[in-house]
Amino acid sequence: MAVKVSGVDGQVFKRALLGSLTWLAGNHEEVNRLNVFPVPDGDTGTNMLLTLQSAVEDVKESNAAEVSKIAKLASHGSLMGARGNSGVILSQIFRGFARAVEGKSSLTPTELAAAFEEAANAAYRAVNKPTEGTILTVAREAGRAAATAASGPDATVPSVIAAAAAGARAAVLKTPSQLQILRDAGVVDAGGFGLQLILEGMLKTFEESDPSFAALADVKKPAAIPAAQVALDLPEGGWGYCTEFLIEGTNLDTELIRGQIESLGNSVLVVGEPELVKVHVHTDDPTSVINLAGGFGKLLKLNVGDMSTQHRRILESEGGAGDGVPRPNGVGLAAVVAGRGLVDIFRGLGVDAIIQGGQTMNPSTQDMLTAIESVPYEEVFLLPNNGNVVAAAKQVPGLTSKKVHVIETHSVPQGVSAVVAFRPERPANENLRAMKAEAERVQTIEVTHAVRDTRSNGVKVKKGDVIGLINDRLEFAGGDYSEVVKQALGKLGPDSYELVTVYRGEQASDDEMKKLESEIRSEYPGLEVEVQHGGQHHYPFILSVE
Amino acid sequence: MSRTFAVVTDSTADLPDQWRDRYGIEVVPLKVLFGKETFRDGVDMNNDEFFRRLAASSSLPTTSAPSPGEFAEVYRRLAQDHDGCISIHIGAQLSATAEAARVGASSVEGFAVNVIDSQSVSMPVAFLCRIAAECESLDVATEAVRDRVPKTRVLALLDTLRYLEMGGRLSRAQAMIGTMLDLKPLLLVANAEIKPVDRVRTRSRAISRMVDYFKNDLPVEHVGVVHAQAPDEAEQIAVALRKDLPGREVTVGQIGCVLGTHTGPKALGLVYLKN
Repeated sequence: MAVKVSGVDGQVFKRALLGSLTWLAGNHEEVNRLNVFPVPDGDTGTNMLLTLQSAVEDVKESNAAEVSKIAKLASHGSLMGARGNSGVILSQIFRGFARAVEGKSSLTPTELAAAFEEAANAAYRAVNKPTEGTILTVAREAGRAAATAASGPDATVPSVIAAAAAGARAAVLKTPSQLQILRDAGVVDAGGFGLQLILEGMLKTFEESDPSFAALADVKKPAAIPAAQVALDLPEGGWGYCTEFLIEGTNLDTELIRGQIESLGNSVLVVGEPELVKVHVHTDDPTSVINLAGGFGKLLKLNVGDMSTQHRRILESEGGAGDGVPRPNGVGLAAVVAGRGLVDIFRGLGVDAIIQGGQTMNPSTQDMLTAIESVPYEEVFLLPNNGNVVAAAKQVPGLTSKKVHVIETHSVPQGVSAVVAFRPERPANENLRAMKAEAERVQTIEVTHAVRDTRSNGVKVKKGDVIGLINDRLEFAGGDYSEVVKQALGKLGPDSYELVTVYRGEQASDDEMKKLESEIRSEYPGLEVEVQHGGQHHYPFILSVE
Repeated sequence: MSRTFAVVTDSTADLPDQWRDRYGIEVVPLKVLFGKETFRDGVDMNNDEFFRRLAASSSLPTTSAPSPGEFAEVYRRLAQDHDGCISIHIGAQLSATAEAARVGASSVEGFAVNVIDSQSVSMPVAFLCRIAAECESLDVATEAVRDRVPKTRVLALLDTLRYLEMGGRLSRAQAMIGTMLDLKPLLLVANAEIKPVDRVRTRSRAISRMVDYFKNDLPVEHVGVVHAQAPDEAEQIAVALRKDLPGREVTVGQIGCVLGTHTGPKALGLVYLKN
């Protein structure tokens, strides 16, 4: 049984707002799921709900009979509670509505439609650069549909609201055709969908006889297109590069520059003065943009960022460090590494090519050469990470047309320290200097078992003994990993160091790992201890001390 | 006070109390939300309480900008005894605050509000407020502040990237640190961007790199050190800077609740305005 309404007075409008709130509250999670940006940010549904809640907060207590009074309270409340972009736009919609109904006690269907239209116009005016395919478009289409319905001969308040809701729904479904990003994500616009829910919630208060709004929330949820962030596929060619720079010159024409840049990308922003112009563009071809812009003047503060890298981070939780971003210094990295965990660590630090090998499986010069040829840079730093590999590595530069520098790292800790010091925007020679210096700063402790009886560096060992080496020199022998490690740390002088990183090898058991960790902590409480899964063969533990 | 215009900022400016009092600067609080509880930054919750609660909380708090209406209220109140206002805020790349201020200002008629997007955060914004407060007219203040926006710098050393990453402000890849090792990123906020300038393994190395970076960026107009629950280290850095820059005021300040939500505890910032 439908509720009979001839006009929208204060209490009818209040009831409609409560209906919107109930319906949005029951469905805002659906709106939240429509987040297309590949980085976590504020949830649109929650922001809109909180904004609407704040609008209704003020309205709830009012018994005003005039629609103008209720609309004004809603406008004020939504402005106070506006959160996020969609919330701010929603507050502007309420503001426009309130202005349109100023001085009126009740609205005819025609006046209601006009107020919807004015609400959309106000929202457009409030936004610096209105974008189609968003809540703005949905508000406008809802207003237009309402106006069309109101011009018919049998127009009623419910039929106008029904038309607005239907117009919103149709506009929401079209948003993917207006915004590439929605199309790629396979979703509709979240803010627009939120507005659709608000209008549908209003409509329900006219269609349902039961004013118990709580029941509305149990109604079947609308069929939003599901879009969890992780389900996003990378479009062909990626998301492009966010390219930004300043052009310094004379008589720079922003219109002309914008026109030319626009042909090379989207999200184009060109602003400034005749002497200095700021350019921002998302493009698949940053080189062409840079060449083009270079024709106008001198480029400053050039910054090219790969947007697909951010995105990929969500798809693979083990994203590397800045992978995919072309390095400004044009230098690639190759490293000799054994052990699954260590491979992941070096990859995570940005190493382009991994050559499997190490202690007993020394890679050949050819293995290293092949890896270097696979690196997409003409200049490559090669890190042998093992004393036994250094010699073969030093053959590589003479065998390739690429410019190869061997950074003579003798251990995993040296290799990690060197790679950590690598900076993609720093010139090659400065990087070499910094990486070598860092590799030399770090102390390496390696723990393994003696493979035969021997005496070395004054230490007598029997086959099977646990032995500890500091920077490749045999220093201690014993029966127990922890004991040998503690002796080695004692010899280095723990007061001069801050951090011990333990790379656990495949032979070390959980119990041995726990025991080692807790004994280092209790013996040397001033040291920070970080445990990493290295997965290396032969060395149950490799420790980096710095 | 002979100044006829008001100076407004927000709670992420980490404005020292003595400047607030001396210059009569109005601070609009952002909000921090622990679940359903909302606290106004620096009003309902102070920094020590915040970090205590952060440590005890199983889920991370979220933050929200002041609403346009809250700004409008402040402007309306100031309009009663001022002939205009400069409103200087956290960079729009980091927060919706400046946009809310702009929308709020547009609803107050007959009162000039110059909203400035500082492109920065923390004490550099406070430096801008101080410079504005020392100007004789709104126009002079606005020009002086606009000129300095590109000169704001925040060198930030985070103890962990976890909080910044959870807030969606920066990914590990953008910070150039992988997912495996616990690296300390040194970040620079300048010209509306956050970019990594270095990554190191230990905190003491990171601090010395931060100071080295700063020294290469001299000369500066203003400099300060901000911290989140790391007063001793902040003071040590300030003492070293005062030694290197004789006669220079080096202010030590605390990172507020909202900013602290994104930096996490033990964050340090070397903040300055380039000359």
